[in-house]
Amino acid sequence: MASFGRYIRLALGAWAFVLLVAISMPAAAQQVNPTASSVKEQQLLQELNRIQGRVSIPDQRSGVLEQPAGRDWREFRNVTLRWVGGIAILGMLALLVVFYLSRGMVRLQSGRSGRTVERFSAFERFVHWMTATCFIILAVSGLNITFGRPLLLPLIGFEAFSEWSQWAKYAHNYLSFPFTIGVVLIFLMWIGGNIPNKMDIQWIKRGGGIVGHDHPPAYRFNAGQKAIYWIVVIGGGLVAATGYELMFPFYLSGIEGMQLAQIVHSIVAVLFIAVMFAHIYIGTIGMEGAFEAMGSGTVDVNWAREHHSLWLEEQSARTGPNGTQPQPATAAE
Amino acid sequence: MLIKRTQRQRSEAQSRGSIAASLSAQGGGFDRRAFLRRSGVVGGGLAALSTLPVGSVRKAEAAMAGPLTSGATVRKSVCTHCSVGCTVTAEVLNGVWIGQEPSWASPINRGSHCAKGASVRELVHSDRRLRYPMKLVDGKWTRVSWDTAVNEIGDKLLQIREKSSGDSVYWLGSAKMTNEGAYLFRKLGAFWGTNNTDHQARICHSTTVTGVANTWGYGAMTNSFNDIRNAKTQMIMGGNPAEAHPVSLQHLLEGKELQKANFIVIDPRLTRTAAHATEYVRMRPGTDIPVLYGMMWHILQNGWEDKEFIKQRVYGFDDLRKEVDKWNPEEVERVSGIPGEQLKRVAKIFATEKPSTLIWAMGQTQKTVGTANVRTSCILLLMTGNVGKAGTGANIFRGHDNVQGATDVGLDIVTLPFYYGLAEGAWKHWSRVWEVDYDFLKSRFESKQIMETPGIPLTRWFDAVTLPKDQVAQKDNVRAVFVQGHASNSITRIPESLNGLKALELLVIADPHPTTWASLAVEAGRKDGVYILPVATQFECKGSRVASNRSLQWGEQIVKPIFESKDDLEVIYLMAKKFGFAEQMFKNIKVENNLPEAEDVLREMNRGSWSTGYCGQSPERLKAHMKKQAKFDMLTMRAPKDDPEVGGDYYGLPWPCWGSPDVRHPGTPLLYNTNLGVMDGGGTFRPRFGIEREEKLPDGTTRKVSLLADGSYSKDSEIKDGYPEFTLASLKKLGWDKDLTEAEMATIDKVNPANPDAVSWSLDLSGGIQRVALMHGCVPYGNGKARMNAFGLPDPIPVHREPIYTPRVDLVAKYPTLPDAKQFRVPNIGFSVQKAAVEKGIAKQFPLILSSGRLVEYEGGGEETRTNPWLAELQQDMFIEISPADAADRGIKDGGWVWVTGAESDSKAKMKALVTERVGKGVAWMPFHFGGWFAGRDLRGNYPKGTDPFVLGESANTITTYGYDPATGMQEPKVTLCQIAAA
Amino acid sequence: MARMKFLCDADRCIECNACVTACKNEHEVPWGINRRRVVTINDGKPGERSISMACMHCTDAPCQAVCPVNCFYTTADGVVLHSKDLCIGCGYCFYACPFGAPQYPKVGNFGSRGKMDKCTFCAGGPEADGSKEEYEKYGANRLAEGKLPLCAEMCSTKSLLAGDGEIIAQIYKERVTKRGYGSGAWGWKTAYRETIGS
Repeated sequence: MASFGRYIRLALGAWAFVLLVAISMPAAAQQVNPTASSVKEQQLLQELNRIQGRVSIPDQRSGVLEQPAGRDWREFRNVTLRWVGGIAILGMLALLVVFYLSRGMVRLQSGRSGRTVERFSAFERFVHWMTATCFIILAVSGLNITFGRPLLLPLIGFEAFSEWSQWAKYAHNYLSFPFTIGVVLIFLMWIGGNIPNKMDIQWIKRGGGIVGHDHPPAYRFNAGQKAIYWIVVIGGGLVAATGYELMFPFYLSGIEGMQLAQIVHSIVAVLFIAVMFAHIYIGTIGMEGAFEAMGSGTVDVNWAREHHSLWLEEQSARTGPNGTQPQPATAAE
Repeated sequence: MLIKRTQRQRSEAQSRGSIAASLSAQGGGFDRRAFLRRSGVVGGGLAALSTLPVGSVRKAEAAMAGPLTSGATVRKSVCTHCSVGCTVTAEVLNGVWIGQEPSWASPINRGSHCAKGASVRELVHSDRRLRYPMKLVDGKWTRVSWDTAVNEIGDKLLQIREKSSGDSVYWLGSAKMTNEGAYLFRKLGAFWGTNNTDHQARICHSTTVTGVANTWGYGAMTNSFNDIRNAKTQMIMGGNPAEAHPVSLQHLLEGKELQKANFIVIDPRLTRTAAHATEYVRMRPGTDIPVLYGMMWHILQNGWEDKEFIKQRVYGFDDLRKEVDKWNPEEVERVSGIPGEQLKRVAKIFATEKPSTLIWAMGQTQKTVGTANVRTSCILLLMTGNVGKAGTGANIFRGHDNVQGATDVGLDIVTLPFYYGLAEGAWKHWSRVWEVDYDFLKSRFESKQIMETPGIPLTRWFDAVTLPKDQVAQKDNVRAVFVQGHASNSITRIPESLNGLKALELLVIADPHPTTWASLAVEAGRKDGVYILPVATQFECKGSRVASNRSLQWGEQIVKPIFESKDDLEVIYLMAKKFGFAEQMFKNIKVENNLPEAEDVLREMNRGSWSTGYCGQSPERLKAHMKKQAKFDMLTMRAPKDDPEVGGDYYGLPWPCWGSPDVRHPGTPLLYNTNLGVMDGGGTFRPRFGIEREEKLPDGTTRKVSLLADGSYSKDSEIKDGYPEFTLASLKKLGWDKDLTEAEMATIDKVNPANPDAVSWSLDLSGGIQRVALMHGCVPYGNGKARMNAFGLPDPIPVHREPIYTPRVDLVAKYPTLPDAKQFRVPNIGFSVQKAAVEKGIAKQFPLILSSGRLVEYEGGGEETRTNPWLAELQQDMFIEISPADAADRGIKDGGWVWVTGAESDSKAKMKALVTERVGKGVAWMPFHFGGWFAGRDLRGNYPKGTDPFVLGESANTITTYGYDPATGMQEPKVTLCQIAAA
Repeated sequence: MARMKFLCDADRCIECNACVTACKNEHEVPWGINRRRVVTINDGKPGERSISMACMHCTDAPCQAVCPVNCFYTTADGVVLHSKDLCIGCGYCFYACPFGAPQYPKVGNFGSRGKMDKCTFCAGGPEADGSKEEYEKYGANRLAEGKLPLCAEMCSTKSLLAGDGEIIAQIYKERVTKRGYGSGAWGWKTAYRETIGS
């Protein structure tokens, strides 16, 4: 193998030599006029869209003399992102409002049974809420970077806004760690229930029961929740990865890489936020009995039957009907 | 949007400013900024706006005036980093140097600086400078007082002198010193009783001084940086001024643009200078003579030579022709690698698109054939008639800020001040100037013979320490070195110098920084016998400096010496006092608090420097020039005649400035310029080597040939032909002795009571003979021919000789170096070394040519500049340039670590590789400024604590090898052999 | 009011770094912060050119546009300055800058890179002209004294020009006409959306 590499190197060397000779032979005979052959800026820019040379200082990235690509990034950041983010987030909010107004809260059709079943363990809830809290702060501080200047700054003034943004940035950077851990844990602890299966197709076909009063059967997680799961895992992974690239400049890439990272980070983030609005909606005012799942960790058996019939069956099969607990009489009456 | 709180009204000031910056018109400083530098102290009030005396300046709107408005004073000195002579304008507040401003008024730098000049402020206030004297005790640097240091050093030196004679102490001075410092250092050597007094010129332009002076009289740049603007063709061969003399490029590039001039660079490297060439010629290092002869071959072949000029002003043309004939294009290409066609084109341009100037620096001088190289360059200029006119000349770019001056004032092994030599007459001249007894001076030496024998070149100091006693032609080996302002890592053969450092009994380092002398002395294993004395930078001293163009500039003291540092002059005085001859030595010089007055020292020089024309530059005139810089024209460097103080003068009174100051000679901007009257700075070639010469003809007969000019003379000369130097006798012959005053006659009688007629222009302390010669439009030194045949030199007609270590062993038989001989008290065994290298096949083991050179950020040995964070940040690693082809062969990556091994002493050095097409295949190149590493080891711990430079690295001279110019003792750091391997 | 610009005549620049150390000297810029730098293109080859580069004080400056806290401002002279009090060290200006001008005292972005630092065209910052506070945060304010940036004033070959854009463009044009060549006003198209005949 080594000798093969050597052979290649030799061959390359020989070629380089031939080329060199070919180039230098006429050059030797002709005039070498460095003034006439000077590099021209526009020519270099057209060839590569960036101009790079040698600097003697150790900071080699400063060898990039000129890189007009920043202009495109600026366009993205100041225009595209604001439109995309604005539409995604406001659009989602509008949609939810419209939906709420038209549909109202999804009620438990069969009312509460008074018996509950454990849906999420304390650890699962802890992870969820840790991630969720971080997410909210990251979202707010992140949105501040994009929308704070036009929206908040005029209201509170330069000094206050800068002070707030500084803290927001610290929070954004530091909370990225628990958030990332949360995403990893979510990925690990719920991957079992989130592998897509054929029930999901049915669930999707029946529109998740959002329209009308249908209740398509589902295991522990229905297709909608699975979607949220994968959005959290993939989206969270992406924002984390790109965020860290930005947090440690030049370890992974040059400026173009960081520009790209910022584009991915921000686009994924605003979509993520939009989706999370929906998630929050469903988990709170959108559906009766849903919040309890992450609140107390237990849900009413009827709720489970309506929304996760197959899961409930599984649970019952495993622990018997006594697996569910009667709710305290006082609470039921 | 934020709004700037202060509204400014300054549109006018701005447009003035921008024009000033860009058109570089003279303009200038407004009042200084209103706050203090971090290092500053609160003080000053609203008033006291600085008084920069520049043209049409209007005070800036005082909108700035805040509570911290400075009361800074402006002081001007000269940059210490190269010989261009840039004025440094400093703002000083309460003894602290708080800022630098552009020096618009200087006709030389016109506001500009390079990286070094723009950062000199840091040198002074650096917290890594030496703070107090130190002494090595049991391998530890220990603080001592100045008194203790001077006493202990003095006692030891006197003890050595007692046992081994004054010649066993080596006095190594500096081109950084002012003229006054360098002169006193030489004088100290004379009073101490040795000619072993040297400085950087030895390793810089000693070959230029010798070669050029032997051609036409004086060994200096003939024209000026500014005058290069007049050239139609600029040829740079053996120099990289873009890095070594950046501000000179302002004149070169503007000249190139305005004249649409040819800009030819002949160099082994495609340097930063070559990047701006209109023609770049790559040559093999060490083949300057073949290249120049190759050009001359085409010139003679095509009749492009200046026949009139040669006939009138050149001696030895026929002898030269014979040598040139050998260098046909085939042989030139075989030896140098330059295609005949290209060289023909270059030759044609140089000879026909006139005026042409030839610019060189270390690339020609730092060779075993250095003297012959520069001689050949002069010959090319003579052949094409390119000397003594605007836009022409040998524009020799000196290195250090005052290397020209230090050379002129005789800080040298072969002469007393101002090139009087070492013969009895010279000693007698100086004993008259110094007003001491000749016999007293003689008694200071071991013998009259050694008093008149040139000393040991600094390149050989360690050989003089370590060679067997019988090989060193003085009473004893060198046993002590007193070095004041000279690097050790700029001297070749560092591994062998370590033996010298170990064997010395005493080493004294007087410098603002410990330098590699200290770190290498510890590396050599010394535990004691080393002293470090903190000496001030030149910004803390006042005095005159000579730029490369021979202009003298007076630098003010910007701030007082920092910490316990002392002025050079004071250190010299303290030593003289300790030795017991201070009273005689400073007889005519005022000394206050042990500090000799610089002005008085210059006046003493004025009184004795007739030979070189340093007699007219009184301190008063020089100070007036600095004050009225703005008066001088940028192109001609002359002030308008109507100015009462500097009217008609050329800037800095470039020497020769004939006669006493009251003669008001304007200085000589272009040497040997016959188009001007001598009182306007005109001149002729100096007949320094006799007035006629007996030549042998082929038929065995002889004929006498005149060495005086033939029908050429300077404008308005009353003698319309060549003439010898003036003596009282020749004045009498011309009937001009009547013009001498009685007082002048009395002085002449006193100079040589036995035979006043023999008193010449250079020995006449009254200046009368010069004055009378000038009165009649004549140059005091005469009017002779320049010599193509410099009889008396080892090679009277330059001959190509292969470098000691050459990759072209096939050429050694035909072009061997000169035979071994004893030169300057030590043997030069170059021939044996070359022969052994060929026999041992060194060129096979070490196939790459190694050359060295300068980086713009650093200077010389570099300790001072590597201690400056603003500069050190820009070059943090020692490196070697290697061609992509050679790098590929060796598996070397750009930026990777490599070991460089040298041909002698099993030398090795570790550094980074810079793979670049800048060097051709087979050639490697290193910067020579690094130090503080040796053979891969970091010697940071060897420096006294807190004084180590920010950046350390291997010294190029760890790898360089044997090789000495026979005429000067110049070392050979530009061509040797090496091998490189990935580390 | 004049519109201040920089112009580096690459046919004059010799990479002497005077601009770099003049800047360090004038503003006491610490090690590692390079408000100005010299980049050499085609290093070691015929056609090699060096260009001194710092903040170009762009027209419609990208840094200013993308700054999340709007800490930049353009003076009446067209100089783009910023407030270190407002800067949060996020690095966005660095992503947007075509010239690599913004500098940060710390390498990482964790917590903060520290306040951004860049060339001020020797015009200080929002504090009172010539005040101690201004000097400590931004360095000297030469413009307020009627002086131009020291880097250009000290340029060894008068390659780097600073001043009223129209005047320096005129100077450059004259040079190019006179000498017959020019590799262009580097960065002008990107910074000012204009080119000067080359």
